[in-house]
Amino acid sequence: MGIRTFRVARSPHNGISRSDRFEVLLEDRMTVLDALFRIQREQDATMSFRCACRVGMCGTCAMYIDRVPRLACQTRVITLRSRVVSVEPLPNLPVLKDLVVSLDPFFEEWKKVRPALHPLDGEAGELARIPADSAYARHAPRKRDCITCGACFSACGIRASNRNYLGPAAINKAFLRLLDPRDGAKRERLRILNDEHQGIWRCHTQFNCTVACPKGIDLTDSIVRLKRAMLRPERLLRG
Amino acid sequence: MSEDAARKLVEKYRWQFSGMLAWGVQRVTGLLLLLYLLLHVRTVHKLSEGPAAFDQAMAFFRHPVFKLLEIALLGTVILHALNGVRITLIDLGVGHQRHRQLFWIFALGAGALIFLAGAIPIFLASVLKVGT
Amino acid sequence: MTWPVVEWYLQRITGALLVILLAAHFWVEHFMSEPLRRGELTYEVIRERIANPYWQAIDIAFLLVALYHGLSGLRNILLDYGRLGRRGARAATAALALVGMVWAYWGVEAFRNLR
Repeated sequence: MGIRTFRVARSPHNGISRSDRFEVLLEDRMTVLDALFRIQREQDATMSFRCACRVGMCGTCAMYIDRVPRLACQTRVITLRSRVVSVEPLPNLPVLKDLVVSLDPFFEEWKKVRPALHPLDGEAGELARIPADSAYARHAPRKRDCITCGACFSACGIRASNRNYLGPAAINKAFLRLLDPRDGAKRERLRILNDEHQGIWRCHTQFNCTVACPKGIDLTDSIVRLKRAMLRPERLLRG
Repeated sequence: MSEDAARKLVEKYRWQFSGMLAWGVQRVTGLLLLLYLLLHVRTVHKLSEGPAAFDQAMAFFRHPVFKLLEIALLGTVILHALNGVRITLIDLGVGHQRHRQLFWIFALGAGALIFLAGAIPIFLASVLKVGT
Repeated sequence: MTWPVVEWYLQRITGALLVILLAAHFWVEHFMSEPLRRGELTYEVIRERIANPYWQAIDIAFLLVALYHGLSGLRNILLDYGRLGRRGARAATAALALVGMVWAYWGVEAFRNLR
């Protein structure tokens, strides 16, 4: 199977950053996360990184692998073509240590769109019925798998130079809520989405987000649909 | 600028995928074309100064250097226009699955062909003065 | 309907119009008649065309569409950088509008002695 070299970004808590090279003996079906564990156990116990589920469900191990935001647990080393695999923390987010970033900026934007369901009917007695031919039923299955990993946020070329931009994940979440017939906070969400400084209009269809999303959500599609829908926002409000 | 800041700047604009390259191309060509438009209007304004002034200005622009710039302008316009069509298609919901092909094959590929169809005759006639 | 969506649609509509208008402009200035094909783009040739008020109207409309598309595009670039703030964005919009009006004036005024 051979040996692969990994160049891992390090930024010990004293703030000075560097990158360390590690050689790892490859094993069958090894992922980047597996390699990081090996490095931490056998070569440098001070290297920090985050992970949790190891199966691509939680989004915790998102990092910048060969200059693309990916889930480390879902990235098979054998699929990486580089001579030296570079592993860096997610861009567009403050680095805490080594590969660990703070997701605060991501969740600040997330909260701005009121991601939770604000029910129309306070005292819901019956189960909600969502018709199979409704917009929500048509779009939700392919748009609701977001695990808030931050990959899209980190990939976004607009967010890279504009700290006001909401980012794809927040906008996609708002899109889902706007389609949701059970939701009653549509007006507030529309206002922030329509804001020229933070909202959907800053997106210029770079598609970085869609390519980076580990769940295969077409984020660009959500944003583009919202843009077209702004011509007749009453339709969105009606549900 | 410190080395770290410079690296961050490069990282910010380093295109990751062709969608981002297309965005960058549209931006750069757009700015160049806007600049050209503003200069062009000032040149056309020479018309108001009478035939002598205008024809003198036109003679100035007949220099081969300007013909080469004109060819560059043609390329810039074609790139911006075709990529613009691509963006409009995407905005209408068409071609999301093929946005890369739309860029490389349509905007760049077809663009290069149209460019050559226009640029070669201009180059031959005005710069190399073939046929005169 | 609010301004951002109108601007978004207008940018695409003016863009599509410009593709046609530019191709036509190129043909009109370089291929419409024999002298033009020889590269003789002179004051006289232009005066003859602009004497016709329809050509004048088309040229001016073309200029206004192009100025809108270009300056609106520049406005988008400025907004993208996110460093303007709300007051800065309003000031930038006003500045761009001023540039647009000045250049539109010069464009129209270019024809004043040809009429």
